[in-house]
Amino acid sequence: MTGQHAPIHLRDVTLAYGDHRVLDGLSLSIAAGSVTALLGGNGAGKSTTLSVLLGFARAEGGEVAVCGIDPAADPDGVRRRIAYLPENVALYEHLTAVENADYLLALSGQPQDRAAITEALTAAGLQERAWDQRLGGFSKGMRQKVAIAVALLREVPVLLLDEPTSGLDPRATADFNALLAQVRTRGTAVLMVTHDLLSAADVADRIGFLDGGRLTDEVVANGPDRFDLRALHARFQVGDDRRAA
Amino acid sequence: MSAATLIARDELRLLRRNRVAVIATTLLVLLTLVAVATSWAHQRGIADLRMRYQQGADRAFEAQPDRHPHRVVHYGTFIFRPLGPLAAFDPGVDAFTGNSMFLEGHRQNSANFGDVRQSSLLVRFGQLTPAFVLQIVAPLLLIFLGYGALARERERGTLRLLMLQGVSRRSLVGGKLLALGAVALVAALPALIAFVAMAGQPGALALPMLVTAIGYLTYLALWTAVILLVSATVRRSRDALLALVALWAVTAVLLPRVVPDMASAAVPLRNRLQTDVAIARDLRRIGDSHNPADPHFAAFKQSVLDRYGVTRVEDLPVNYKGVVGMEGERLTSSLFARYTGESYAAQDRQIALVDAAGVLSPTIALRALSMAAAGTDFAGHRRFLDQAEAYRYALVQRLNRMQAEDVSYADDTAEDVGADRRKRVSATNWSAMPDFSFDRASGTDLARGALPGLAMVVGWLGGVLVLLALATRRLGERR
Repeated sequence: MTGQHAPIHLRDVTLAYGDHRVLDGLSLSIAAGSVTALLGGNGAGKSTTLSVLLGFARAEGGEVAVCGIDPAADPDGVRRRIAYLPENVALYEHLTAVENADYLLALSGQPQDRAAITEALTAAGLQERAWDQRLGGFSKGMRQKVAIAVALLREVPVLLLDEPTSGLDPRATADFNALLAQVRTRGTAVLMVTHDLLSAADVADRIGFLDGGRLTDEVVANGPDRFDLRALHARFQVGDDRRAA
Repeated sequence: MSAATLIARDELRLLRRNRVAVIATTLLVLLTLVAVATSWAHQRGIADLRMRYQQGADRAFEAQPDRHPHRVVHYGTFIFRPLGPLAAFDPGVDAFTGNSMFLEGHRQNSANFGDVRQSSLLVRFGQLTPAFVLQIVAPLLLIFLGYGALARERERGTLRLLMLQGVSRRSLVGGKLLALGAVALVAALPALIAFVAMAGQPGALALPMLVTAIGYLTYLALWTAVILLVSATVRRSRDALLALVALWAVTAVLLPRVVPDMASAAVPLRNRLQTDVAIARDLRRIGDSHNPADPHFAAFKQSVLDRYGVTRVEDLPVNYKGVVGMEGERLTSSLFARYTGESYAAQDRQIALVDAAGVLSPTIALRALSMAAAGTDFAGHRRFLDQAEAYRYALVQRLNRMQAEDVSYADDTAEDVGADRRKRVSATNWSAMPDFSFDRASGTDLARGALPGLAMVVGWLGGVLVLLALATRRLGERR
């Protein structure tokens, strides 16, 4: 699925905060069952792109659609179709890991039983002894795992990830990437914004380079080796140099 | 289960897991229970005491021996105002005005023996009644439990988390309203149970009780909405708490105490001494019945002689001293009525000012509603004063008429050895005197008196809900 019918569709999207143009004609389509990674430096427009898709920021120009719905017109409708994993996970500290998942899934209209929740928590890498502990004493990585479990249990067509591996150790990162591969097979369209070139290269089908609010370059996975890491790094470096200039 | 219900359930779960919240709520419930129990016992005690004293006063009055009627006029009697069951919920001005009165000729006494006059100054701050707990303490508890309901979600980033689950702003605020409303209901529960108990008591009137229950529930719903409005509007939980406590201090504590003082200053009342001096001065102007040269009483005497076609008071078929007593009582009573009317008019203006301040403070509006429905407001007190004065006047005039008709002028003016015996009338007359029976306001009248206060509280709730709806639409937006 491509173009206007793709689960994630942006065309010539513009957005400015005051005089600062954050998105400048951004166009992007992500088909079902594919993972796209957006790379870019600070201020490139990565998080704003997610905010526009989630309906928290309104595009001033262009076309935005999530599963055919304009997020600005029906943010609640769009959010019911998206699972979102933010960089800084906010969860309820007075609830246990299982209670958090149970509560959030019930709110999203997709309640799951305890067995399904604990299975997802296991898949996300959270140890069993932490399942029924309140989140007050959880590390950032543990919270991240609870949020990943919730995102996985949301059977939605779109998954948005904002620096998903930033709180995870290398092993947990590898586990997460494996999970993401499973999600892709369910036909979910995944957009991941990240600084982590390696992680992006590991799971993405396509990597876009965002700079100054527009897509400056795009690389598609090719062959068993998928991406030429050296070439990717060089492209990323070019972006950094351009910003520095 | 709807999103709003899920959010309400989680909010209550959060409160249940917060030890401070549990202790505070339990304390409030206990406080309300204690207030209900002590107020109920206090009112029952007072009612029993009043009934005993009324019976004692009636017995003492009826036990008088054969006596000259004018001595009975000065002997006087006590009357007591019985209170309705709702007075246990809200004693209103009763604690200040008192509900017993000494009735005698030539004088119009005020009610006496109010609790406040017999208690320490602390009572003036606010008696521990269910009304006080629900008006003042319950909103404070709701503030401490609910100030962070929305501000906390925003501060911790969970507001966006909820919205990301597809929860609408309306469901979110609705859920928080439900949860805090449930806490408010728990706080009001002992009082509501007491209401049910009161409904079975003699003299309980359904309509005013219904209006009171609606009024208090609306008031608690109003505070719930105010708390969420502030929590939705300000940036941080701490700011929400400060703003709400300040709002509570001004509207629930400061204004209800300052506004009556301002009304008193705006419409000054004569004090008791000034009134007594003015009445004494006017009485002198009216005339002296004992002075044969007094123009008013000279003219009155002539009119009586003319009416009966005689030239001397000794030839009248009635005792002129009794007739003069009736005229004197008529004159002094009309004077009392004039001064009372002026005082009532001034107090009405003061009350109108205080009631208008309900626009600034819903607590003032609720207090007016609560006292009016309980019959313990100024109108209820005035009803007692009016009926007491009517009873006093009828009693005194009946005794004066007895003097005029049953004691001859010759005996009344005689000073021989047996004259004192002949001036007396039979003691059987005293028991024939009608007892004072307070005619309570009907349930419809009490409810009608409470409606302006109810309208204000409902108006407050409507206004705050509109503001909350506007704040809800902007919830979670970048600022």
